[in-house]
Amino acid sequence: MDIVKIIRAYIFDNFLLDGDEGDLTNDDSFLDNGVVDSTGMLELVTWIQGTFEIELTDAELIPDNLDSVHKVAAFVAGKTSPSAGT
Amino acid sequence: MLIQDYLERSAHLEPTKDALIHRGRRRTYRELHLASQALARWIASRMPEPAFRAAILTDEPFDYVAAYFGILSAGGVVVALNTQTSERTLTGILGDCRVSIVLTDAKFSKHFPTLLALQPSVEAMAVRDLSRVSDATDDRCFDYQTVLESDAVDDSVALPRLAPSAVAQIIYTSGTTGAPKGVMLSHGNLVANTDSIVKYLRLTRDDRVMAVLPFFYSYGNSLLLTHIAVGGSLVVNQQFVYPNVILDEMVAEGATGFSGVPSTFAILLNRSAIRDYSLPDLRYLTQAGGPMSPTLAKALKELLPAVEVYIMYGQTEASARLSYLEPELLERKSGSIGKAIPGVTLELRGENGGAVPAGEVGEIVARGGNIMLGYWEQPEATAEVLRHGGLWTGDLARQDAEGYFFIVGRRSDMIKSGAHRIAPKVIEDAIVEHPAVDEVAVVGVPEEFLGEALRAYVVIKPGRSCHPRELKAHCRRLLPAYEVPHHFDFLPALPKTTSGKVLRGELRTKSTVEVRT
Repeated sequence: MDIVKIIRAYIFDNFLLDGDEGDLTNDDSFLDNGVVDSTGMLELVTWIQGTFEIELTDAELIPDNLDSVHKVAAFVAGKTSPSAGT
Repeated sequence: MLIQDYLERSAHLEPTKDALIHRGRRRTYRELHLASQALARWIASRMPEPAFRAAILTDEPFDYVAAYFGILSAGGVVVALNTQTSERTLTGILGDCRVSIVLTDAKFSKHFPTLLALQPSVEAMAVRDLSRVSDATDDRCFDYQTVLESDAVDDSVALPRLAPSAVAQIIYTSGTTGAPKGVMLSHGNLVANTDSIVKYLRLTRDDRVMAVLPFFYSYGNSLLLTHIAVGGSLVVNQQFVYPNVILDEMVAEGATGFSGVPSTFAILLNRSAIRDYSLPDLRYLTQAGGPMSPTLAKALKELLPAVEVYIMYGQTEASARLSYLEPELLERKSGSIGKAIPGVTLELRGENGGAVPAGEVGEIVARGGNIMLGYWEQPEATAEVLRHGGLWTGDLARQDAEGYFFIVGRRSDMIKSGAHRIAPKVIEDAIVEHPAVDEVAVVGVPEEFLGEALRAYVVIKPGRSCHPRELKAHCRRLLPAYEVPHHFDFLPALPKTTSGKVLRGELRTKSTVEVRT
């Protein structure tokens, strides 16, 4: 499963509706580039939880975990790895 | 007293004090005042006649605030634009009020062709980082920093002194229905409201507000004016995407106040780590921008028992504040919007314009120095709400025996189902008491026999689940049968305006998978 590709597709399909591939790199900040607002972030979190079957704690709702395609992918990978939760 | 006098006074009394803090950068009152005066002289040199309209389109707080006071000092009218504006909205608003000056930033350059093509044409645009705009060949565009530096020592341009009755600002309502209207607020309106709010919130120079609300709407506008007026500080972070980042800033900067709309507090309570934070400097919270459920208010107070929670009510047409509930009455008068703020009177009127009997529902009619001059160039729309010396707010309420107001709903949101006229808020307040529910909106949808059926759109808290049958049973325990929703739909979030108000019209026409119970 190419997590980066899945996340990128979701972002473009839901937030960058008329965007070109070059409009957002996988390291571009969602916040700084105005990709998601507060409501959009709630939707993104709900989607992450449902798609990857993981739970996010309140303390995990921070830019380091969620503010770019790569950051979301790394966060998801960390949560779904065999050692997660041990 | 004019609005710009607040900045002048605070700059005189507190020149080296931080007025604005944003992303770690600090600007003193002296810096802010000097920048506003430089802009004022640049504008005034191009606009010798006052009452011109000048637009602000920027997300940089320092530039925004300098522009705001600069325009006013030059005798102009501020038209502050939503930074998430679209071409259509921009054309509509700026064409409607015919702006002559624009103060903006290169990051909004996609809108420049629209701005420069407006008719009658814009006289001049000051653009932050103009060099980043690839095709900035229009000679009406000037670099913002050059403007600030070139006119900073030029005192030869005289700045006009207008009457307090002069229009200071046009705020276009976000509008839950219909096209936005330009609310005209005078210097006198905004000064009256600012002074009243300062009084009941007991704001002083020691106050530092965490400002998450946009300045271009009336609630954020009042945060700005009240704190500049007292020589306080504004810690600005208007991107409420990561609430934990906001909480970190509140701790780091010693925020004494925080203001939000209902969804702000719903997010803080249900989608942030606020329970892990200690906020020892926080003195007060204010909530306005729509009704917050008593359940949410109570949860907020339980989480922050030492913090004063002010429930407030108003509308842009009133500059915007009309009432507040004293914090010590939050529990005893749960659900109330309180009483009129100093300098304002509120009364309830029936559909025929007469007084309503005690305890009965009527429309809130407001009077005071904060009531708008009218809607820009819309005399008919103005006459619908400014009648008999008062502002007919469109909000229905009842008063208890002690004179405290309780909102029932918008006149336009009332649902006619069967023989009953139902206020959605009553049902929403009941549903949100269910522990799994985060937010809810109830609308009426056309139904052959009832006229309108009740449809509830529900947002469930993260990590929780709930079956529609549970919600129906929950409602049956709390509400009369005719107020129990016929349908429940679940959404990840409610559609809202940019100012946080639920778009009920959109919900009424929403096509979702119907969950019949």
